Amino acid sequence: MTTFLFYFFAILTVVAAAGVIAARSPIYSAMSLVGTFFSLAAIYALLLAHTIAVLQVLVYAGAIMVLFLFVIMLLSLGESVGPAKVTFPRVVGGLVAAGLFAALVIAARPFVPAAAQTPPSFGTLQSIGAQLYTQWLAPFEAVSLLLLVAMVGAVVVAKSRV
Amino acid sequence: MEGITLQHYLFLAALLFSLGVFGVLVRRNALVVFMCVELMLNASNLTFLAFARDSGMDVGHLPALFVIAVAAAEAAIGLAVIIAVFRSRGTVNVDDIRTMRL
Amino acid sequence: MLVLALAFNPFVDPFPGAPENIAALLWAIIALPLAGAFLCGVLGRFMGRANTNFVACATVAGSFLLSVCAVWAVGSQATQYTSPASGAPVRWALWLDLGRWFAAGDFSVHYGLTVDRLTAAILLVVTGIGFLIHLYSTEYMEHDEGYWRYFAYLNLFVAMMLTLVLADNLVLLFVGWEGVGLCSYLLIGFWYQDTEKAWAGRKAFIANRIGDFAFIIGMILLVLLLGATEKMGRETALGRTNFTDIGRARAWLTSLHDQGPLNVEVLREWATRIPPEGPRTRSGMNLSTTISTEGPLQGKTFGHVLTAALLLMLLGAAGKSAQIPLYVWLPDAMAGPTPVSALIHAATMVTAGVYLFCRLSFLLVLSPTAMAWVAMIGALTAVWAALIAFAQDDIKKVLAYSTVSQLGFMFIAVGTGVFWAAALHLVTHACFKACLFLGAGSVMHGNGDETDVYKLGGLRKEMPWTWATFGIATLAITGIVPLSGFFSKDAILHGAHGTELHGIPWVGHTVYWIGLFGALCTAFYMTRLYVLTFEGKRAADARVPHAHESGFRMVFVLVFLAFLSVVGVIWGLPDAFPGPAGEKVALMEGYLAPAMILADREASLYETVKHLHDAGIPWGAYILAWAVAVVGGAAAWLVYRSWLPSRGGKPLPAPIALFWRWARHKFYVDEVYDLLIIRPFTLLSKGLYKVVDGGIIDGVGVGGTALVLKRAGAWLRYTQTGNAQNYATVMAVALLVSIGVVLTWVLL
Repeated sequence: MTTFLFYFFAILTVVAAAGVIAARSPIYSAMSLVGTFFSLAAIYALLLAHTIAVLQVLVYAGAIMVLFLFVIMLLSLGESVGPAKVTFPRVVGGLVAAGLFAALVIAARPFVPAAAQTPPSFGTLQSIGAQLYTQWLAPFEAVSLLLLVAMVGAVVVAKSRV
Repeated sequence: MEGITLQHYLFLAALLFSLGVFGVLVRRNALVVFMCVELMLNASNLTFLAFARDSGMDVGHLPALFVIAVAAAEAAIGLAVIIAVFRSRGTVNVDDIRTMRL
Repeated sequence: MLVLALAFNPFVDPFPGAPENIAALLWAIIALPLAGAFLCGVLGRFMGRANTNFVACATVAGSFLLSVCAVWAVGSQATQYTSPASGAPVRWALWLDLGRWFAAGDFSVHYGLTVDRLTAAILLVVTGIGFLIHLYSTEYMEHDEGYWRYFAYLNLFVAMMLTLVLADNLVLLFVGWEGVGLCSYLLIGFWYQDTEKAWAGRKAFIANRIGDFAFIIGMILLVLLLGATEKMGRETALGRTNFTDIGRARAWLTSLHDQGPLNVEVLREWATRIPPEGPRTRSGMNLSTTISTEGPLQGKTFGHVLTAALLLMLLGAAGKSAQIPLYVWLPDAMAGPTPVSALIHAATMVTAGVYLFCRLSFLLVLSPTAMAWVAMIGALTAVWAALIAFAQDDIKKVLAYSTVSQLGFMFIAVGTGVFWAAALHLVTHACFKACLFLGAGSVMHGNGDETDVYKLGGLRKEMPWTWATFGIATLAITGIVPLSGFFSKDAILHGAHGTELHGIPWVGHTVYWIGLFGALCTAFYMTRLYVLTFEGKRAADARVPHAHESGFRMVFVLVFLAFLSVVGVIWGLPDAFPGPAGEKVALMEGYLAPAMILADREASLYETVKHLHDAGIPWGAYILAWAVAVVGGAAAWLVYRSWLPSRGGKPLPAPIALFWRWARHKFYVDEVYDLLIIRPFTLLSKGLYKVVDGGIIDGVGVGGTALVLKRAGAWLRYTQTGNAQNYATVMAVALLVSIGVVLTWVLL
């Protein structure tokens, strides 16, 4: 059962990701990205990362993609910006991506899966929360500061000159 | 899970990451480039979670959480910058935004 | 001043005061003119003409007074110092060591000044005649704008010449040697606005430089020679005894490293220990020993290397003293002011070569080959220059060739071992040649700077003082009794005739007959010069209608010098005074005996130079010499007073005309040099300039580097596109590479 689910969602993810990079219009890319996020959330669930899966949907698909769509609509971008140009840096970029893939696969091979037993509280909100507010308090506070700064910064940068 | 090992997840993450890199280096629309960056971040998240599951320690979910938070902040700022650039230049085509040259 | 020196001659012995005080002041002899040069050069323009004249003359006069004191001291038996090279006392000499100049490894050079009898004689000449010429110059240059420059250079010259003369080692001597070369260049090209004159200065400097180069190599050979001696001396027991270990030998070794191998005392000691092959070898090493040390001298004998060094020094002396092959600069040097010609190119600088050989007499005597070369070159130059002088029209050029010829005589003397005769001729020649040159200067001054003798004539009545002094000096140079020139020249010829060099016995006789012919020629051309300038009627195309006699300062100097030419005979009178060994010798010979003692001893001990007849006055030789001079003079008189005027304008007989044309063109030597040497060098220079400097260094080196950098920069500029995506690509490539590296490192 898990195998089927995994392959299903994995293929979905990959197709959606391909859609992101290949779509003509940014709207289609954004939609494909949303699809990617949803599929990934499912895979996270398969990995017993329940909290993260939910947060993925809430934050990524719910907030960030909305932001993206708002911006796309604000900029009134329609079709893509002209025919694709095959330049030398772009070819190199393609090759680098392929090379990076190969490198990562090679790097991943030696790992021997431990397939450890997971406790029942694995990935639950209580478990995450407990660790978050005790050992990981400092990064937590830092991230909250970061979000504050990002908010202010976004407003300042995007404000139109009045 | 029978048959689905760590290696499968890592392979998937590698694939997603590579697709993201490809998009960042090849697409001309700045917004699409941004979306591909999000794709890369997600791939790294997947890696984190796969290893967490494999080792049985769910402390690995916390970096993933922070990655999501930071990605949100970064998306906000980045999009604000794109808006500002669009206002001054009228385009979001990376080929036309050549300001960073000596 | 010779008169003064006469008063303090060696046979009268009072010297009040300690010689050490005089020795301590030796540096001032050089320092005074040097300071004068500085003052005149830097402040001369502000000081004004009168002050500059005073400063220049006063410094040289001061040097002269100090020199007189030194000469006085050296005339006393009590004056002596301890030689650093042997520990033994050196009599009749002063020495001042001012400290080490520099040391490079084993080689060390000191600032050392020394006065011995030889130095004394030359000192008086340099400072005395130098002072007189300074005095003459004050009037001669009174209309010239650059007077401060002139006196600065002249004072500097005197300082450098004194350095040369007073030096106790060859390196300091060489400093003076080069210094006088420099001052010669500066003074010949004094009127540098005229290109010809400037080039004459350049020619002099280059010819000198060629000689200097040979000199340096000769010095280096000597250094290597002494080093080889020291090394080989350590190898054998006998060698150690004589070169390193005991008493005097240890002193020699110490001074070799302290005073340096080019110190004259050190060289002296070395010469006493390295005899030619013979019965009295003391060290197991002699001149035939092969050198076994590694390096350029290996496999050659001491004698060969010494001869080579001396021959190189001969080339150096030939450059400085204008002998074949480097005499070509001296006639051109007449482009400078006449007092300069008198001082530098008659009395002092050109005698530096002769002085050098007299200084190194003890080395020269060890090498008969070198002596033969010196004598032959001297003889050939004497005749060659005399023949050229036959056909020159310019007063100064005739006198210049005359100087070259007379220097040839001095070289004959040096080459045949009669060093005292060379020194005597040096002194007397300085007097009458300076008188002749200054007389020529007076003639020029009074005739609007005319130098062509065919445009002069009949000055006997219009310039009486100049006529009289010039006449006396002419008689002196041609060698008419009882003037000094006769005895000095005859001392040379007589000494040459009676000398047999070891292994080359024909040199003495050959050189005598060549020298005699040279004396004949001298008489002819000098009389010709005198007749054309002073006798007869004034030329129709003279520059000024009436010649005027020169002022008091110039005439006084002329008269004084003429007087010295007459009185100097005392120093040359043969067999007039008791010598060091009791026999009767000429005064100069006796005076210089302590300076030449080692040379004489070596010559007799090792039989390298044999003087055959030295007893009694050689009446036959004297009469022959006098007859030669009279014949030559009379021939010139007749030719120019009777024969030529009687022919009217008819052309000369063909052989004489041919000879005349060749002589007038200086036997085309300059043209040959130009063709063989100067043109190839100029071509080489041009080639190097165009190809190497212009093409390779400028084009490939400088230009090429710039071009490469420009292209590289242009090429690298392509990476700065301004496109952020491109930068991201570069970063991704770098990331890939680093991941690849880490992976290979981890997995392998």
